Amino acid sequence: MTDIVTRTNLSDLLGTPIVDATGRVMGRVCEVAMETDKNHDTVDALVVRSSHLSGKGRLGRKRADRYIPVEHVKQTATGALKLIGNPSHDTFPQEGHYFLLERDLLDQQIIDVSGRKVVRVNDVDFVWSTRDNHLELRVSEVEVGLRGAVRRLLKGLAPQKTIEAVARQFAPRVIPWDFVDLIEVDPARRVHLKIEHQRLAQMHPSDIADILEELSPLEREAVFTTLDEEIAAEALEEVAPKLQMSLIDGLDSERVADIVEEMDPAAAADLLAELPDERSEAILEQMEPTERQEMQDLLGFHVNSAAGRMTTEFLFLSKDATVADAITAVRNFEGEPELLTDLYLSDEQQRLVGVIPLARILLAKPETQIDSLAEKRFTQIHSDLHQDDVAELFDKYNLRELPVVNKDDRLVGVIRADNVIGFLRSEH
Amino acid sequence: MARTSLAKLWKMRVLMFLAVLGPGFITANVDNDTGGILTYSQAGAQFGYKMLWTMLPITIALIAVQEMCARMGVVTGKGLSDLIREEFGLRMTFLMMALLVIVNYGNVVAEFSGVAGSMQLFHVSKYVSVPVCAALVWFLVVRGDYKVVEKVFLFASLIYLSYIVAGVLAGPDWQEALVETVRPPALNVWRQDGYVYMVIGLVGTTIAPWMQFYLQSSIVEKGVTVKQYGAVKLDVIVGCFFTDIVAWFIIVACAATMYVHGMTTISVPSDAAEAMKPLAGQYAFILFAVGLFNASLFAASILPLSTAYTVCEGLGFESGVDKKFGEAKFFYWFYTSLIAAGAAVVLIPRFPLVKVIILSQVLNGILLPVVLVFMIKLINRKELMGKYVNKRWMNITVWATSLVVIGLSLALMFSTLFGVKTP
Repeated sequence: MTDIVTRTNLSDLLGTPIVDATGRVMGRVCEVAMETDKNHDTVDALVVRSSHLSGKGRLGRKRADRYIPVEHVKQTATGALKLIGNPSHDTFPQEGHYFLLERDLLDQQIIDVSGRKVVRVNDVDFVWSTRDNHLELRVSEVEVGLRGAVRRLLKGLAPQKTIEAVARQFAPRVIPWDFVDLIEVDPARRVHLKIEHQRLAQMHPSDIADILEELSPLEREAVFTTLDEEIAAEALEEVAPKLQMSLIDGLDSERVADIVEEMDPAAAADLLAELPDERSEAILEQMEPTERQEMQDLLGFHVNSAAGRMTTEFLFLSKDATVADAITAVRNFEGEPELLTDLYLSDEQQRLVGVIPLARILLAKPETQIDSLAEKRFTQIHSDLHQDDVAELFDKYNLRELPVVNKDDRLVGVIRADNVIGFLRSEH
Repeated sequence: MARTSLAKLWKMRVLMFLAVLGPGFITANVDNDTGGILTYSQAGAQFGYKMLWTMLPITIALIAVQEMCARMGVVTGKGLSDLIREEFGLRMTFLMMALLVIVNYGNVVAEFSGVAGSMQLFHVSKYVSVPVCAALVWFLVVRGDYKVVEKVFLFASLIYLSYIVAGVLAGPDWQEALVETVRPPALNVWRQDGYVYMVIGLVGTTIAPWMQFYLQSSIVEKGVTVKQYGAVKLDVIVGCFFTDIVAWFIIVACAATMYVHGMTTISVPSDAAEAMKPLAGQYAFILFAVGLFNASLFAASILPLSTAYTVCEGLGFESGVDKKFGEAKFFYWFYTSLIAAGAAVVLIPRFPLVKVIILSQVLNGILLPVVLVFMIKLINRKELMGKYVNKRWMNITVWATSLVVIGLSLALMFSTLFGVKTP
């Protein structure tokens, strides 16, 4: 059973006449409809606009658009489309549940997940194939380059072959359908079309942030609200402050609280500090008590001081603990373990007395007292040190992390190298 | 208790206004570019006060059109060419962009003509001033910090206020001026040679198509939200009034100094400096030259860049001066060509600077209805604008403006083609 395959594109398909069994032209293709849940790339139906007006032909009379499932269509030798069988649906069923390619995809912006940017669609490429004796139309890719643009501009102005020849002079830029993420601004339609941005969610947060920055406010909101809290939090951390405000604006305090809880505490505190008081109060209220306390502590510190840059997620163990205890503590660590590079030791009064690089813990036997592994000489700073001095210290001592203590020498937070890079760049 | 909250409310309002002050006011100032200054001057010199009546309807139309652009920018968060692309498709966008590029190119030529003309007053040859300024503008935009540059130009724009002073000092016939401002002229005045041409020129220089694209993009870039819309609207309206008041005074100043003395044509830009004589006597030339130079350079920095952004946006090319050349080839190539070609044309020997400047503004006027029709269709779409669609009176105003300008353009074409002249 050979699969006969021909390629076509949307600009060709639109306007193609469809003839019925008697050879009379019923109308022309005006839309291509498909469902858009994941992995779905087959076209469900063609929408045909009748060339005969229903009733008396007059301005203002709506032409009836007929909905023809693809199984009922066959290609003739001339390239026109022929109706076979007798499709039961005459009018458009449940329009909201279908994605209409001419209206919703052509000339609109989509997210190119592999290229990690936002692009505009110039044309869409399809493949006709025959399988088990019926015709299937699949979307293969989206054309965003000059070739598609030229083809569309010249359509109808010259014979098809000439247009193709001219178009071939230009480089194609295509995005396979698998890497296309659709943007739908209407929330109800998003649900019907099952647009969940699963592919987008797997991208690196800074790439997601870049994409959010390229979109218009409504589109941005549409994409951001579908992300789950963890990913939204990571993306929010990477986005410019002004944009952070804009994104938070559209959400209710409960949702913002959920996201803030997933964020890096220092970044979250920066964000809350920028908001007007009533808003940050409302968000804090929705947070879990421990997280809220942590936020309020951080917010209490001045933003340009060391304390404003630190995170409160660190491991603080008694100096009497063993390596085994330390490993348990890492397992139970509620932040992200990948961020840990050092462990901190405390004495009975909770003062900072030692620092242990995590690698040493890995190499030691479980029974070893961690006290013996500790660096007795280490750098620490006070919470009110200015952030410029912090940067200097990182450079001078080649630090990865810097513990911050309060006036009682108690460990209150830790500054990590990536926080320092962040504020150094923002100064330039 | 109540008093402090009222004061606080006012303080918030003023701060919000200052925060969004910019797009409307800047656009208004760029409005008084070379094309503006020379077209208004010629209008006053050639027809005396008989062009003043156009200022009121033009101002109303300008406010309506700019407010629409601002509203679209705030509600959709997208630029005008983006919207045209998404709602009308590639082909329509391409046609619109092609027309816009041609007309904007005329405006770029006008700006460099202004540079040449103003520098001639200081006896600097155009073969020196134009290439140097073209290169300067290119570097400023591509390598410089544009925001700083913008503020310098904006500050220097205060020179326009000198037109107001010049207008007063010229001792015009105030009564006649004010009467002519509200009285449309008799039919025989319309038949005068060049009258219709000049009216279209005035419309085109005040409501330039490129400015609408620029305004909407500025607002989108500034990230103005719907909540701040009131302040934006105020900024736009204030800008429109400012620009048209200055325009009115330019016309009056030229009418009172040139028309009354029979100097009815401006053949080289320096002729227009005559209008400054009452204010500055022999230093009139200097004042005028500095003002014109500033205006030309300011617009030359904005217009080609705005055109490049508009075209790239509409056709889907990468754009942005923050991108490297390799990342946005078409954008850089296009922008550079626009400046180079604009400057090159001015260097042609015996180039009729003033004629071309005014022609470029007339072309603006002829293209305007096309842009307006797109705008009206977009702003009345509920899916796009939600509850911010146009009210009826605004639709009527803009449709009326379009129809009037189309009518005038047709009349102009008719009289040009068939050589119908006044006896």
